[in-house]
Amino acid sequence: MPITDDMIIEATGELYSRSLRKVPEDAKAALAAAMETESNETARQTLKLQLKSAEMSENKDTFVCSDSGVPVYFVKVGSKAELACDFKASIRKGYEVLVETIEPPLLKHVTNPITLERGYHGKDMPIVSYDFESGADYVEMVCSPKALGSGRWAALELFTFPTLEQIETYILDVAIKAGAQHCPPVLMGVGIGGTFDHCAGLAKKQTLRPIGEKNPDPVLAEMEARLTKAINGLGFGPMGTGGDTTVLGVHVDFSSGHGFTPVAVCFNCWINRRARVRIWGDGRMEWSE
Amino acid sequence: MSVTEHDLTLPLSQEAAQKLKLGDFVYLTGEIFATAGLPTHDRLLKCLEGAEPLPFDMSGSALFHLGSLNEEAEDGTLSIVYMNPTTSTRFNAHMPRLIPGLGLRATGGKGGLDATCARAMAESGCVYLSFLGGGAPIITAGIRKVTGIGWPEMISHYRIARIEVERLGPLTVGIDARGNSIYDRTSKASLEKRAAILEGMRAERDSFEA
Ligand code: SF4
Repeated sequence: MPITDDMIIEATGELYSRSLRKVPEDAKAALAAAMETESNETARQTLKLQLKSAEMSENKDTFVCSDSGVPVYFVKVGSKAELACDFKASIRKGYEVLVETIEPPLLKHVTNPITLERGYHGKDMPIVSYDFESGADYVEMVCSPKALGSGRWAALELFTFPTLEQIETYILDVAIKAGAQHCPPVLMGVGIGGTFDHCAGLAKKQTLRPIGEKNPDPVLAEMEARLTKAINGLGFGPMGTGGDTTVLGVHVDFSSGHGFTPVAVCFNCWINRRARVRIWGDGRMEWSE
Repeated sequence: MSVTEHDLTLPLSQEAAQKLKLGDFVYLTGEIFATAGLPTHDRLLKCLEGAEPLPFDMSGSALFHLGSLNEEAEDGTLSIVYMNPTTSTRFNAHMPRLIPGLGLRATGGKGGLDATCARAMAESGCVYLSFLGGGAPIITAGIRKVTGIGWPEMISHYRIARIEVERLGPLTVGIDARGNSIYDRTSKASLEKRAAILEGMRAERDSFEA
């Protein structure tokens, strides 16, 4: 049985709605673990408050944060999945239905950058990236809405044949510049190499990786541990009011490229909004996070 | 060790504001003003320049950078469905004039304000309180009722809401009434630590590669 328009419409709305209400389990576990190591008492209490907010939003079935950001989706189509849908149109439709029906309603955050008009809709909304997955018989969709609070601190720089030291110094400096601003403790996504456009995507996708999962590449795993320790040594702390917990993790990926090497860095605030679903043609939907 | 907590009634007296120390937790009861709008801050500055009257007398009050969704009941009364802080540094250019101009005793939001704002706060005896970003359920639970809406022609989170709150918090003292600022201290400290941190990373890289 093929995957239909109705299934995509349902998944689009439900994913966004879930991402606003539930802090992913791995993020909650990382916050709880940070409480054990944090030495600053205000910071420990702030982490505790963050966990309390996550619990309350789940119990009350409401939003963790009032800023619902703009809708961002990642789609992976399995090579063995059978499709009978207009994917792009269904995602647009699913988002339209969501903003009309969601309870509580969303604030109008979608902004036209030329006129500064705000509303629920706008050119190229929702923002969707498509990819394929060899051998899979399902479609996977992830929703990770983005708002100004952590979105504005993302950065990308182009180097030529940089050393690892130059790359890591740049990443540290982006963390210093973001400072107290992005509702820490954050998850930092880093992309290295490829091209300008590809590198930004690499960094963003790293924020979708489960927190606490070790990078299978030993060089990258080492780099992630080193950067996490270094950035937590800066002292910004939860909500930027001081402490040892500024990042919950740093996730790094790279692609081969030419001699010019882009390095991209982006952030997910502590609520780590992301929701994931796998959809099969027989109507099964498996939700995670 | 524990965090010092203060249960305070608004309007905040000069003495009560002076007692607050960096990193303390505060719960507020009384009336606050809230807005998340950049155009709103521009308009407040124009009011101070005499372009139009202020929507409320705000002297001695608390004005916070909070965005909210309001719902209007059939009888015209407004309620807040959810509320949460917005980034205060977006208003760095406005606050040095708004703090003394409006006579604010407290301001706040998330992420703090810059050193120029902190100086203005020291001169006026005003504190900055940090709200939990992503703390909508906790913050919304502190709301009793909306007692006024300024500039209703603006979109929901740009209006100025006057809100009665009960034990709103905990909020963290980020900048005290003498202008001491956690944000200023941590950002200066991070720059001071930078060289040593880079050195430590270099040593770790060398030992890993070896
Ligand atoms: S950075 Fe995240 S938690 Fe903070 S206000 Fe924005 S969306 Fe909410």
